[in-house]
Amino acid sequence: MLLFLVRRILLLIPVIIGLTIIMFAIARLLPGDPVGLAAGPNATQVEREALAQEFGLDRPVWGQYATYVTGLMQGDLGRSLLTRRPVAADIASYLPATLELVFAAMAIAIVVGVPLGLLTAIWRNRWPDYLSQVVAIGAISMPRFFLGLLLQLVFAMWLLWLPLGGRLPIVVMPPPFVTGFITVDALIAGDFSTFVTALKHLAMPAIALSLSPLATIMRMMRSSSIEVMAQDYVMTARALGLPRRKILTRAIARNAFSATLTVIGLYFGWLLGGTVLVETVFDWPGLGLYATKAIVSQDMMPVIGVALVIGLIFVMANLLIDLAYGLINPKVRYA
Amino acid sequence: MTPDLTSLTRRSLLALAGAGLAAASFPARLSAQSGKILIIASNQDIPNFDPHTASGYSAAFLLRNVYDPLVRVSGNPPEAVPGLAESWQVSEDGTEYTFNLNPEATFHSGNKVTADDVVYSFTRAAGLAKGNSWMIRDIVDPGRIEAVDEGTVKFTLAMPFAAFLAVLPWQFIVEKAAVEANLGEDQGQTWLMTNVAGSGPFTVARYEPGTLYQLARAENAWQPGGGNLDGVIWQLLRETATQRLALQRGEVHIAVDLTSEDMDALEGAPGVVRIIEPEYRTFSIKMNTESGPLSDINLRKAVSYAVNYEALVEAAGYAELMVGPLPNGILGHNPDLDVPRQDLEKAKEYLAQSEHPDGGITLRMVHVTGLEQQRRFSLIMLDSLKALNIDLEIQPMAWPDMVAASASPETFPDFFPVYQTANYGDPDNIAFAAYHSASNGNWQNAVYSSPEVDALIEEGRTTIDPDARVEIYRRFQEAVVADAPDVFGVLEMRKLAMREAVENYNFTPVASNAIYCWPLSLN
Repeated sequence: MLLFLVRRILLLIPVIIGLTIIMFAIARLLPGDPVGLAAGPNATQVEREALAQEFGLDRPVWGQYATYVTGLMQGDLGRSLLTRRPVAADIASYLPATLELVFAAMAIAIVVGVPLGLLTAIWRNRWPDYLSQVVAIGAISMPRFFLGLLLQLVFAMWLLWLPLGGRLPIVVMPPPFVTGFITVDALIAGDFSTFVTALKHLAMPAIALSLSPLATIMRMMRSSSIEVMAQDYVMTARALGLPRRKILTRAIARNAFSATLTVIGLYFGWLLGGTVLVETVFDWPGLGLYATKAIVSQDMMPVIGVALVIGLIFVMANLLIDLAYGLINPKVRYA
Repeated sequence: MTPDLTSLTRRSLLALAGAGLAAASFPARLSAQSGKILIIASNQDIPNFDPHTASGYSAAFLLRNVYDPLVRVSGNPPEAVPGLAESWQVSEDGTEYTFNLNPEATFHSGNKVTADDVVYSFTRAAGLAKGNSWMIRDIVDPGRIEAVDEGTVKFTLAMPFAAFLAVLPWQFIVEKAAVEANLGEDQGQTWLMTNVAGSGPFTVARYEPGTLYQLARAENAWQPGGGNLDGVIWQLLRETATQRLALQRGEVHIAVDLTSEDMDALEGAPGVVRIIEPEYRTFSIKMNTESGPLSDINLRKAVSYAVNYEALVEAAGYAELMVGPLPNGILGHNPDLDVPRQDLEKAKEYLAQSEHPDGGITLRMVHVTGLEQQRRFSLIMLDSLKALNIDLEIQPMAWPDMVAASASPETFPDFFPVYQTANYGDPDNIAFAAYHSASNGNWQNAVYSSPEVDALIEEGRTTIDPDARVEIYRRFQEAVVADAPDVFGVLEMRKLAMREAVENYNFTPVASNAIYCWPLSLN
């Protein structure tokens, strides 16, 4: 088990190196003139050159890469050409918002999707099954920003239950920074009313983001449950007259969930990289907006930094998923 | 509620929401109006507070509220009013400016603002050569700024510069002692990025990047006049429709990024005041005067007479047509200038004199991906050029690629639409940036170069007498129109909207979205 962990963590090194090389190559291959853009239209040639020199962009690519990797080992992700701010500090301030959103969305997707998948498998080909299949296809195919707008319209404009956007009202001071998740930090600070307020702000964007993974998880759970139900050991359990509930939780749900776990791991990374539309609609100050702004202005350091961080989190998430397989199913436990 | 759901756009959806809002009983959700905190909705972050390196209108907002320049800009037409300097004298020849600092002026630290701080600030700005320093490049030599005594500072300019008082509002004064104490390895750039060493009427109270920037009235705000604000919040609302809704709900007091559609929707909205004013912000289509078919002046003239100008102004929403190269209403602008308007006979006459008398060519126009206004302009050009049997290839491009394409006449497309915002309220700004050959190679004037026009621009900026300048800029406008380097487009109105509760707001057509909050009050 320990060996497995060490091996997997060592595997991160080539992932990081690969990511940085690819991102650096893309940054170089792109046409455009990031220095000219950052220096502004009124800069002289001398000023442009000075800017390029300040950021090391006048040096050969391999030299820039070496500097970057050296900085990386000290946790330095470089500086944005456009805002001049250190990328690591920017990511540290935007990442928690995105993670909070993605965790909340995944939590909704799992908590609702898994039982629903199991139920539809049991009620296969009856009306609740058909209904949820139709809803699921709708949820997968509906663009997230559109869903976000619909939610805003219904819950913020008509019912007035939830706020339009943001993480907190501007008059509310955020709780002291511990995890960066406002909901969690509010609880740590013992500030229950801020927790509730933050939760209300989180609800709509999280739901908008969760529907697509929810539907996929549900369908995955349904099909693997159906598969498991046809297995001999389920039949045996039935023949032995085990209580129905026990068969369901022990034999079916547990086995079917292993397959669903893979989807969850994949979706986690996909959501991390795909929050930008939801962030825009709900004014959620997250990484997606930050990265998008950097991409359109060819500000490569933030882009590389974000890709690296998301890549790392994705790998870590899948490592956790791999460990979870073993937890659920002793057959795949790692030695 | 019967719109076809498949064609339901975000905007129409929110318009529906607005209708629902009006119908629902929604009395007093005016949370923003409790207390004296002014809330401004904007879509632009403020990543950098350093007055000598930051750029962009959001930074301009912050800087003009937390720092002081020597003079400020106010009024319509804009003029210089006292800032740190309570008065100033200009020498006959326009090269010597002496500023008398207001003896009341103090930094947030409590220290007095001295001539030393002024010299230090200009020296630092010139040394870093970033941000707004280009406005005084080659004009102000840091070595020739003199602290005559504690309260007097004298500038000896390298040459007379008519727009000097117009660029000063964007040159901010930092506290020398505070910056020196935090120099680091980069002349305090890292420190000033998130710290303030100013004397402005407000200080930065808190900021959450991507969410809000909150200013608080400085404890020792020394500026005369001033409204009743305790603070200001710059709140990020990225969608213009969201800004409009927040304004309607009373959650913000001012929205600064509204579109024509938003302004239409706000017409008659209770409690909301719309401000639709011409600003010195031009939108023209540059032509490649140096390379390709349009290097032929007759073809450029043919194009200029073929364009459907009425369609341009209609597509731009709240806008008016430009008359020549300078923004309407600015010093020296000639409203009676003879500029091309759609006249197909004339267009065909010029076409007949060109190298392509029967058309039959394909020209290329680029525009910024996703900028709807520019896309519409491209389509109008496509349509207009059909009359000359000229085809137009329209190519959306990312902005950095467009900047890169401006580097040389060979890479510059035939048509290149450009927004040009005046950074200061003087005709020199747009004349120099958009028509002087010194800007060749950058997007503001990638290729056009005319010795005659260059000479007029230089004469205009070094002449001090306003009447003489008017005459020079008249000749400049005629010379540019004769060369037809641009399809002169439209002047988009500045579109702001605010709650009635905001008092004492006066529009100034320079950087009006970077609102100076000191005079404002909330009732």
